[in-house]
This record gives sequence, C-alpha cells and structure tokens, in this order.
Amino acid sequence: MDTQIFTEISLSEILVELLLMPVIAFLVGLVMVLWMRKIGARVQRRIGPPLFQPLYDVVKLFGKKTQVSHGVVHDIGIVMAMGGYIAAETLLPVPGMNGIAVYGGIITLTYLMMIPSLGLALGVGQCANPNGSIGISRALTAMLAYDIPFVIIVFGVAFHHETTNLVEIITQQQQAGIASWGAVQNPLLALAGLATLQGMLGKQPFEIYIAPAEIATGPMVEMSGKYLGGLFVMQAFQLYTAAVLYVSLFLGGGESWFELLAKSFVVVSIPMMIAFVFPRYRTEDLVRLFWKWPVMIGLLGVAFVG
Amino acid sequence: MSEFLFELNMLDSLLLLSAVTVAIAILCRVEYISGGVVTLLYLAQLVVVGMMISAGGVFSSHLTPQLFGYELGWLLDGLGLYFTLITVGSALLATLYMAGEWGRRYREQGKSFRALQSLLALNVFTMQLLLASSDLLSLFISWELASWAAFALMALSGGKGLKAALHYMIYAFSGAMLVFAVVAWIATTAVTAAYQLDINGAGILQFSSVAELMQQGIFTIPEQLLMLTLLLIGFGIKMGLLPFHLWQAPAYALSIGPAGAFLGAISSRLGLFAIIVVLFKIFGSITDGSILQSSFGFEFASVTPKTLLAWIAVATIIFPTFVAMRQNDARHLLAWHGIGQGGYMLLGLVMMDSLGSAGGLLHVFNHATYQAALFLAVTSVIYRTGTADLNRLGGLVVRMPLSFMTLLIGIIGLAGLPPMNGFVSKWLVYRSLLDQGELLLFVGAVIGTLGTILSVYKLIHNMFLGSLRKEHEEVREVSWSMLTPMLILSALILLTGLFPGIPLQWVAQGLSAVGLPVAEFNLGGVMADGGSLDMVIVSMVLFSGFGVAALIFYFVGGKSKRVNPLDNYAGGHFLYASNRYHYSNNFYAGLMHLIKPWYKNTFQRLERVVVTLLELTAESLSRLYMRPHSNQLALIIVVLLLW
Repeated sequence: MDTQIFTEISLSEILVELLLMPVIAFLVGLVMVLWMRKIGARVQRRIGPPLFQPLYDVVKLFGKKTQVSHGVVHDIGIVMAMGGYIAAETLLPVPGMNGIAVYGGIITLTYLMMIPSLGLALGVGQCANPNGSIGISRALTAMLAYDIPFVIIVFGVAFHHETTNLVEIITQQQQAGIASWGAVQNPLLALAGLATLQGMLGKQPFEIYIAPAEIATGPMVEMSGKYLGGLFVMQAFQLYTAAVLYVSLFLGGGESWFELLAKSFVVVSIPMMIAFVFPRYRTEDLVRLFWKWPVMIGLLGVAFVG
Repeated sequence: MSEFLFELNMLDSLLLLSAVTVAIAILCRVEYISGGVVTLLYLAQLVVVGMMISAGGVFSSHLTPQLFGYELGWLLDGLGLYFTLITVGSALLATLYMAGEWGRRYREQGKSFRALQSLLALNVFTMQLLLASSDLLSLFISWELASWAAFALMALSGGKGLKAALHYMIYAFSGAMLVFAVVAWIATTAVTAAYQLDINGAGILQFSSVAELMQQGIFTIPEQLLMLTLLLIGFGIKMGLLPFHLWQAPAYALSIGPAGAFLGAISSRLGLFAIIVVLFKIFGSITDGSILQSSFGFEFASVTPKTLLAWIAVATIIFPTFVAMRQNDARHLLAWHGIGQGGYMLLGLVMMDSLGSAGGLLHVFNHATYQAALFLAVTSVIYRTGTADLNRLGGLVVRMPLSFMTLLIGIIGLAGLPPMNGFVSKWLVYRSLLDQGELLLFVGAVIGTLGTILSVYKLIHNMFLGSLRKEHEEVREVSWSMLTPMLILSALILLTGLFPGIPLQWVAQGLSAVGLPVAEFNLGGVMADGGSLDMVIVSMVLFSGFGVAALIFYFVGGKSKRVNPLDNYAGGHFLYASNRYHYSNNFYAGLMHLIKPWYKNTFQRLERVVVTLLELTAESLSRLYMRPHSNQLALIIVVLLLW
C-alpha cells in the first residue's frame, strides 16, 4: 500500500505543492482570522471588522517605514515561526495534493508544529526585553500544557486507524462514510481535541501567553512592522493548519475543497463561540486545566478505542 | 614474535593502537606536540574502526590469556563496533578541542595537560576492552578498569569534582560487587555443569555458553531472575537508571570541559551496552516473560521484565528532565538531560521490535553527537566568560555567533525536533510504542520531550539571548581549534538527521549481532507498515517552508534597521548599560508555582536512608571488635570459620 503511493509523486508535483500550499493556506487563514473576529464581535454584540481588515492589517504592518530589528536571531526567529507552519501545512493532505503528505505522518506533524514555538521563542529572546522573555516562559509552559492531551489524541487516532499516515487515516474515514469518522467513532477524543485546539491557537480564554491586548508586557513587546506582520501571517497559517488537521483526524477530511473548507470553518467556530463566555486563565491555571480535563477525557477516549 | 605481529588482525591493531595512544599520552613530555599526535592517533583508530565496520562480521583478538583456569577473550561484533565507533569519535573530537588554544591555557594555569590527555586515552582503551569482551570475566575486569579510569578522569578536576567522583566511585563499586557476585555464582556452578553439557570448561564463561546454561535450566527461573536483577542494577548504575542516577549529573558536569563532553557523550552508555549484552545475549529467553507464567503457576503476563524495564526507562526520562529544568548551571542542566536521554535508549530497546530497538540504539549515536556539541559549546562559553552560571550570562549571541549556532543545533537535537538527528531516533521509539499500544509509556516519553524543550530554551536564552552584560562587552568568539570540533559535531547532527540511513546501517549491524529484528530502511529513514518516515522529504519540506517564509520576510515590506538593546521598551524608564534588563532567574515561575510541590527529593532521601543504615551497621560491627576482649572474639570467629 505504502510503496504504491510513494512511486506516484513526481518532482513537478512536489514543486507545485511546495509553492501553492502556502498561498492557499495564507488566503484561507486570513478569512479564518476574519471569521473568528466576526464571531468574537457578535458574541460581544459588536459589528466586527470589515471584509478585508485582515489583509489591510498585513499590508499595514509590512508597509511600515521603520522596521526595528534586534539582531539576526530576531529575524530568523520570525522566519522559523512562519516556515514551521508552512512546512506543517504542506504535509497535510488536502484534495488533489496528497503527494508529500504520505512522507510525513502524524507524529512528524506534531513535532513540526513545535518548531514555530521555538522560532518565536528564539526571536523574542534576542529582543533582550524581560517582558518578552516572561511571555515566552508562559508560552512554552502553555505548550507543555496543551501538547500532553494533544499527543494522547494523536496516539488514540493513530492506534484506531493502525497507521500514522494521514492520507491513510482520511481514506479510511472517507471510504466507510460518516459512521467511521473519528468524531463518531471516538467522540471523547474529538472533544478533548477541540479543547486542545483552542489552547494551541492561543485564543480566548487561553490567550494570556500571547497577550494580544497588553502588547507591552507579552512576547510581542519588541515586535514592530513586519515582525508583527510576520507573526500575523503565522497566525493565519496556524489557524489553517490546526483546523485542517482536526478535520483530517476527526471529520473525514475533504473529498473536495469546498467540503474541507466548510468543515474547517465549523471547527474554528465552535471553540470560538464557547471561548468568549469564559474568563481568562492564568498560565499555571491553564496547565492545571489542561492536565486535568482534556487529559482525562483523552485517556478515557483512548480506552474506548477498540 | 615477528610471526605474531604479522598476523595482527584489525581488532588486534585497534587495541594495540589504543594502547600506544595511552603510552604516548603518558610518555610525551612535550605537551604542545602531544595534543596533535594523540589526535592523529585517535584518527588512526577511527580509520581502523571504519574499516572494520565496512568489512562487517566479527573480529576476534589473538589476545587470549587464561585466568583462574578460565579463558579470557576479546571479540568485536556489530554491537561492540557501533559503540567503539562512537567512543573513538567522541575522544577524537574532545582531543581536537583541547589540542590548541584550550590546552595552552590549561597548561598556563599550571595544570597537567599530560594527565588529562593520558586519562582520556586510558578511558578510551579500557572502554574498547570492555566493548570487545566476549565472556563474563573479561567483561567484569574491563568494567572495573573502565570504572577506575572514569573515576580518575572525573577526579582530575579536584574540589567539588573530586567529591562527585568519589560519589560515583561508591555507586560504581557497589554495582561492580553485584556483577561480581553473579559472575562468581555462575562460575562456581558452571564448572560442574560444563561436564554435563559437554562444553569446554575454560570457555564456560563466554556469553554464548552462559546463555546455553540458562536455556538448559542449570539455574532455576527464580535464580535466573535474581541474577538478571543483580546484573541490571550493577550495570544500570553506570547508565544512571532510576533510582541509581544521583551520582551522574554532578560527576559529569564538574569534569574538566572536554573530558565532560567525552564522558557525557558515551561513558554512561557502556551501562546500556552491558545491559544489552545481558538482556539479549545471555538472558534473551526470559526477558519477554513467557517463561514466567509457567514457572510461577499464576498469571504474570502483565509484569514481565520487559514492562518493568520500560517503566523504569520512562521514569528515567521524566524525573531527570524535570530536575534539569531547575538547574542554574549549564553543565549540570546538560548532564541531567544526559540521564534522561538514556531512558529513551533503554525504552526503545526493551520494546524489542524492529522500530523500537533501532530507535533506542540509534539514539546512542545521536545523543553522543549533540551532547558532545552542547558540552563543548558550554565549555567555550566558560573559556571566554569564566562561568556557566545561567544567572550570570546573557546576550552572548552577538559576541559568539558560532558557539550559539552549535548550541542551537545541539538543543534542537536534544529536544528531538526535526530536522535534527534526535528526532529520528525518538520517532522510531514513539512508533514502536504506538504499534504496541503502550499509551502511558508513549505519553511519558513525550512529556520528557516537552520538558526538554522548556529546559533547553532556558539554557540558550539565559546564555546567548537577552541582554549582554557589561562585563562581557569585550568577549570574542573562541579560536578555530575549538570551533572546528564544534562545527563538525553540528554538521553531524544535521546530516545524520537528513540522512538517518547512514547511522542506521551501523545500528542494523549492532542489532543483528544480538539477534534483534532489523527494520527496513533507506537513506532517508525507515519503511514500515502503518506509516513511514523519510527525513529527506521532511527536511526538504521544512527548508522549503523556511525559504518561503524568508522570501515573505526579507523581500516584502521595508528594510529593517538594527537598534541598540538600550533602546528597548522599559515602561518609560531609561535603560543604562549598568541595568540588568534580563529575565533569567526562576525562568518558569508560573509552571514551578504549580509543580514545585511535586519535587520531593525522594531519591536524595532514599540515598540518605541507605547511607544511614550502612553507617549504623558499620558502627555496630566496629563496636564488636573494639571491645576490650576483641582478640578472644576474633579467635572464636576464626575457629568457627575453620570448623
């Protein structure tokens, strides 16, 4: 089975995928940013931003006249943060472009998705601002919190499908219909996954480690112009990656792009609607919360994986 | 004599070369020459090892002395060769590091470079003897020699290092006693058994003969289990397996820089080597536990030596990693991680399937590369700044960019993120745990990785990122003689990450030598049912992702301007060079707020209890012979013994 897939891919296909995927992910990610902002606004009874606001933000940030760099590592950190997600989304199988995905797999993807955190941490580190460093200490602590339930979920899904190959996981779900979707087969894992997703995206109520509302006392303190712009783009990539990964694991992926995107938007909406109801969590409370509930639900979920 | 020399095979020449290296390191009084000469000799040894690996097969030495009627023999198979390669490679790079400017300053400080050089060479020689041992007696003898050599190398640093070395020696001695007890037990019983089984009495202690004895049921299953336990404890001490790990971190951390790099890279892995020999060459039949059920008569399937060892391995991963996170000295932090990484090796190997055992054994090589790189980078920082205290450094990336790069590549390897080599071996272990449905072991292994990421970020942040201290304004990058081995190691970490097939082929030789299954692999990684790994493609995707990101970052938007760190935001205050504007102490304050109560120093307390008990016993015994009529007592004891 595996070897058959391996021979099908050609170099031109790889190149197309490597260049096309970031563009698609960028556009979809921007719409997702807008979507989430809209939902947040509606929950708070505001109108929310106009259609092109995320794009304006990117253009504004990259177009700033002063771009303050704190050194080479600062620059490289931003590149690593964006690049890690670009790589991760290339390794996600999507309709028509499964070629590279078979070489990665779900464990590789899990670890690739830690690279942006490391990149951001390095970049912020060189800024030599203790406020930034404190923010990173929180961000990495949060990673320790949400990645433990996340790997339990990864284990459960891979064990259920008896493979780490995402293409295979999606094919199995698509062939047998909705009844075989991860969300139906392992609802507990899917539930824990939703919570984990929210922590991973750093969205309310877990956004304290990004501190978007108090930028001077978080990791972004020394980020200006295209540095902040780069992280904004990273956020778009991150939203796309996380949503598509969730759809691939639990909702049978997409047989067409429309299906995939529809499901992805549903995935990012659910936690967003719940999130604004909760107060904000301190980092250590976040750790306590994640090590308790998603871990417990996830472990229970794996216990039911037959 | 000439005939004998003529017949030297490759193992003979390797051991001879190694002995010559020791001799030259001891005898050469001109210290600035000896550095270069000894480095070349290690290079020669590496060439011989390389030739042996490419030739493949088993090499047996002509050296076969007799001791107490037992024949000692040295024999190097794929497993020993793999470890020998790493040993010689680490020694070569450590020696290269100290051959130039580092050694010059070491001599100028009035310390004996010759002692350092010769003790390192002695370590390499005794380790080679150990790795090539083919019977229990030669294993024990070379084990003792290697332990003493390691002790001497640790003790060389004096002061606290000497204390840590003594701590090690107490542990090592206790372990060796356990090993010796088993060897003596087998030896005394085996002689009579040899006649029954028609084995040559002099070669009865060879691993294969001992395995034969075990299979033939000369020892009952409970006896075998006892032996296995004693041997595992004895060798596990060297490896730093929980709960016998307390000696290791201080002993390695306080060793002299390059010696610490060598010890941290490979020394404790000898324990793993011996454990592999014991588990798979001698007691292969009872490790998977199938016999246990029948002999004890009740269901024992859930607690086999395999699961027990796997849990010890996971404990060895988790606890030391989180101890490392709290260290405030770079060397201690790394040494604690060294203990934790040993857990991954054992965990992979005891899974005993093709992926897990490949991962466990591959991790030995990978760990050696990044641990040596990390230790050397930290030694370079100490060389320039005089400290490895994580609260007294910061911002060095602008002064020592290449050391920073080495440390960065090293920590990515240590944390096990792609594209570095540490990821590949950990991936294999994870896959094996997944295949066997070991959820909790899997989660434990990942917790270790996540903890490592936190801990190594603290390391690189507190040393190289953040604001530069005023007193480090004048610091320069270290010289090329020190940078070369660091850069070689960095390249190795990256290249064996991109092309894991190269080390995997050595690993495959090692695995087949002990009869473990070998996974199907190619240059880029491993082919397996249920998901493969091709690092060539993964790295290509990753670097292409970085490339696209770099295009966006560097070619879109305005040109960036470098600013002075003193222009940073400080809530309206002015920053001066004398201000310490750096966050380093208690770096994960939030996390520690939560998990600090979980650090209970259980193992230190356990150790203290054992020490107290021993002291009490010794005290009461000494009361016995310090009594006024002790001579009469002694007479009675002697008479009783004679009787």
